[in-house]
Amino acid sequence: MNNHQKGAKASYIALAVFILIWISGTSALHRFTKETFAEFQAPALQIVSKGGDLARYWELKSRSNEELIAASRDLARINAALELRIHSMDDIRRENTRLRENARYTANSEFLTVVARVISRDSSSWWQKIIIRKGRTDGIRPGSPVVFSNRVIGRVSAVHLNISEVDLVTSPTFRCTAFLIGDEKRRIVYVRGDAANSLSPNKAKVTAIPIDYNPPTGQPIKVLTTGLGGVFPSGLILGEVDGGIRMSTDDNYKVADLNPAKDLNMIEEVSVLVPQYPTAHEILLAPSEKIKLEEFK
Amino acid sequence: MSSDDTLEKISVPSAPITPWRMYLIFTLFAVGFIYIFCGLFYRQLIQSQDLIDQANLQSETIVWRPPTRGKIVDRNNVTLVENRVRWSVKANLLGLEGEIDREYRALVKAEKAKESTIKINYEILHQEARVNVLNRWLKKIWFVIDASNQKKSPSEKKRVKFLADSPERQVNVTALAKHMRDSRIFKFTLISDLTFPELRNQISDEEADRSVARFIEQFPVDGPITIESDMIRSYPYGSMACHTLGYVKDTNQLPNDFDPNFEISFKKLSKSKYTGKIGAEGLEQTHDYTLKGSSGWERWTKTSAGYKRELLESYPQREGSQVRLSLDVNIQLAAEKALTAIKDNAGNPLPSAAVMLDVNTGEILAIASLPNYNPNRLASKVTIKYFDEIQEQGGWMNRATQGLYAPGSTYKLITAIAGMRSGKIDYDDILDCGRSLWIGNHEFVEHEPYGFGQVDVEKMLAISCNVWNYRVGLMVGPDLLAQEARRFGLDKTLLKTNPNIMGAENTSQYEIPSPARKMVIPDANFKRSVGQGNWTSGDTANTSIGQGFILTTPLHMACFAASVARGETRTTPTIFHDPLRIPYHEDSRPIGLNRNQLNAIREGMVRCVTEGTARSIQIPGFQFAAKTGTSEYFKNGQKAHLAWIIGYAPAKNPKVAFAVLVEGQNDTNTWGGVTAGPVGQAMVKEWLNSKNKQSEE
Amino acid sequence: MSVLWAWFFLILATYPWLFAADLVSSTLASSGLNYFITGAALIAPCRRLKRWQAVLFAGCVGFMFEAYRPIPNGTVAISLVTLAILLGNYRSYLRTSLGMIQAAVVVNAAAAIIWFTASAYLCEAPTDIYNAIYQAALQGTLSGLVGLIIIMPLATTQNWIMDLMGVPSAQDLL
Repeated sequence: MNNHQKGAKASYIALAVFILIWISGTSALHRFTKETFAEFQAPALQIVSKGGDLARYWELKSRSNEELIAASRDLARINAALELRIHSMDDIRRENTRLRENARYTANSEFLTVVARVISRDSSSWWQKIIIRKGRTDGIRPGSPVVFSNRVIGRVSAVHLNISEVDLVTSPTFRCTAFLIGDEKRRIVYVRGDAANSLSPNKAKVTAIPIDYNPPTGQPIKVLTTGLGGVFPSGLILGEVDGGIRMSTDDNYKVADLNPAKDLNMIEEVSVLVPQYPTAHEILLAPSEKIKLEEFK
Repeated sequence: MSSDDTLEKISVPSAPITPWRMYLIFTLFAVGFIYIFCGLFYRQLIQSQDLIDQANLQSETIVWRPPTRGKIVDRNNVTLVENRVRWSVKANLLGLEGEIDREYRALVKAEKAKESTIKINYEILHQEARVNVLNRWLKKIWFVIDASNQKKSPSEKKRVKFLADSPERQVNVTALAKHMRDSRIFKFTLISDLTFPELRNQISDEEADRSVARFIEQFPVDGPITIESDMIRSYPYGSMACHTLGYVKDTNQLPNDFDPNFEISFKKLSKSKYTGKIGAEGLEQTHDYTLKGSSGWERWTKTSAGYKRELLESYPQREGSQVRLSLDVNIQLAAEKALTAIKDNAGNPLPSAAVMLDVNTGEILAIASLPNYNPNRLASKVTIKYFDEIQEQGGWMNRATQGLYAPGSTYKLITAIAGMRSGKIDYDDILDCGRSLWIGNHEFVEHEPYGFGQVDVEKMLAISCNVWNYRVGLMVGPDLLAQEARRFGLDKTLLKTNPNIMGAENTSQYEIPSPARKMVIPDANFKRSVGQGNWTSGDTANTSIGQGFILTTPLHMACFAASVARGETRTTPTIFHDPLRIPYHEDSRPIGLNRNQLNAIREGMVRCVTEGTARSIQIPGFQFAAKTGTSEYFKNGQKAHLAWIIGYAPAKNPKVAFAVLVEGQNDTNTWGGVTAGPVGQAMVKEWLNSKNKQSEE
Repeated sequence: MSVLWAWFFLILATYPWLFAADLVSSTLASSGLNYFITGAALIAPCRRLKRWQAVLFAGCVGFMFEAYRPIPNGTVAISLVTLAILLGNYRSYLRTSLGMIQAAVVVNAAAAIIWFTASAYLCEAPTDIYNAIYQAALQGTLSGLVGLIIIMPLATTQNWIMDLMGVPSAQDLL
């Protein structure tokens, strides 16, 4: 028996030992490893994204003055319109605060909005996610909803130092409740990402649609967040029902496919709505050593 | 050695083969071939069909497409019974195996550390480990549902408060033990319905959905705890009209609406036993056939691993049909609210019943009975605990159709009608009514200490004079009195299914299950038959004021009031609404009184409200007719009172008739006008409201 | 620089390739396909590095792939380490270019199918098993193809680094 063969035998034994150690190892070890390698790669992601920004900057710099003048003229118009809107919004906000004070009900879902650029997208049949350029240092916490204007993009699934991972609406790990427009009784339906097929558009699934739900005719069936779950504010658009509502094959209700509100693979910038207080979801996701359940009771 | 030598050696046979041996071998081969050939022939041509079938059976499977049960709506198409999504939280015990194992080892270690002499029962420790682990998860689940860490709006606080003592905060240990015994490969249900049916009508539907939304959006997705959804029966008004609507329970009886061939193949192919829902009470039971629809199915070929491969044939399910009731939700709610307000000394609602009918058509607008039950709590599973609880309270009984009671003074209408029809007395005859009447050596007293003096029919009905009735009863005699009661159908079973309307497929005999059939209109024969001896004048006197042996139901009395309102003898009640219904009352005849006599009866009932025993329930600006009653009965060997009121409204051109009964207890003050009256008043008021609303529209 | 650190510098040299593959996946995200080259990246190092170094390299590359992906912790790392050990023990097959190309295709496809299956495990079990197999096959085929294309430039880079570090050539081994 030569050295090579001996080494081969030893390597298999070493492998078995390593697998054993890994399996019996604590979750802290797993987390640590994962976090280390994630942070190791983070700078590269940052650099590429910043490089993209730089390229865009130089591209803009090369524009002619005429173009810039035209653009700034357009912007000024939009600005004026928006300013008007801000005024009316202020009134509404004041009214809202007054009513809340009267009702002695302070909002439980005050969000801090963090705008973040998308660095990269990653999708397979089993997950669809994006990586954004804001992380723990920017105050982002796991479980926070991610939106673009009034559309739901997804939800933060993991937070690193300077970058975060976001599960898209179409990812099977995403789930939330919704109302369908035209349902006067406002019965909740269940939206969850669907394991997609490669080379075909990603979809989410809407289930538990009541049998007697009649979609409004002549317009797309919009799916809106309920605001009941304490994560998403109410009335955000999750998407539209795609291809009609059909009877479920296994259960006694209807199901439908959901086309996400925005082309999730094209999106460049998103807003993360970070709740002021940690949600139950966040507390449960946190490593048990850090936050004890009882502390919040 | 040359090659020739070799050849030579081989070509020389070692021993010659004799012909007979050859023949034997040939024969054996021939027999073998023939055997194989026959076998193949038999298998391939004769048995082929059977074998193909068998192969198909092994590679086929049946998938059920259960139907959706039909809705039940009221006369204005308000939904009374529908189907809703039930969300349940389940634990995958296989996924929890590791955690349970760790807990188990810790428990064993702790147990061994005690060094007690008692032998460790490992099975119990294992169960304890399971319970501990599941309880830990439940704590997390409730943490999410309760939003313990967040500020809450008042409605949310209310929800959390109601849920504070939910039994599902802890693992149901017996259910877990049963689960481990019978179905350990399935998921274990931790919370059977996240919308918590016991909260229905206590908090808004949207608030009830909040628990579901919170769980879905906040509980971590990956893990051994999952949420599942299915459709169950839902009663949006909770316990309202529960006796009429009924509830559904599990059945494993295959629905019998298939062709027989399919049923046979189902039995062969189906691995799982059929489970479905079947109506258990009320209309859910009597109209199960209409409501249930019919199941569909799909026949699939499957792979060896059991996955579906190809759809061979399918049969679509058919949704159950809708049933439209004659009930009016508003009147029903008003009746139940008014009934619930009548409390005993301990603060619990008294057993009671109320009915309101459309005078012309006999359609039932409201039919209530207390105590009742909440069918939502029975929708997912009929638990023995809740079943017994209802049983103990007497909530299963529909007092409006099944409760047999002495009608008390409301029966005086019959005595009066019998008196006038027999010619013994006329509408304007006046009887002198003192403080009592001696019959034999027994004194029958008035309910007023000094008597009423000069009393005619009208006054008698207004003030409910007993002595008048004793005297008229004795004049008429027991046989005629009983005959009159029978003429009004007080002993006829009601709510029979009308075969012309409901069609032949409905096999149930009654519109609502088992209405009372043992009403008693007493006469001499009856008394003898129950072994109580001979009929006496005292019995006649008792009967004339609706006491003694006489027994009937609130529904009968409501029908009687409707008949009087129409000036006829019978009213056929029905629970179904038909906007085009042509009023038809089986065996109904004209009441047989002349105009003055009938007027006297009606005027007497109006005066009962304006100045008589029911004056406390007047409705300003609106006139209606009523007759109160307070009869004695024995409860636990002691005297108690039944409070009655029957009547119709409006006084002129009546549209609705009603009857209310309240079962007093030994220690309650229960009087017809004071106790039952407000319920009648509430129903009439609500009817007026809805009539006004309709005319506005 | 000591040969001992060869594995680390090899990772630094390989990382741009891995990152580029991620970027390609990112821009083609709507296809739902991953341009996976992690398996192919094992071939050249396993051919020349000492066994423990190859194993370290494979483990790190595996963990890097896992870092941003919902895969049961360590699955890819462990399977890559296993593959690296196998490659190391049969390195005689890797001496020729043809052997390397074959190994790249097979190892890349195998590793891709492993992570694809492992991540399916975290996603609620796919209901349609045939579709899942089809998807895995699609991803596997693509990865095989990518391995075939990428192995030569990738191995050239890696060999260049190993030459710089003074790692003995494959021919010298055994």
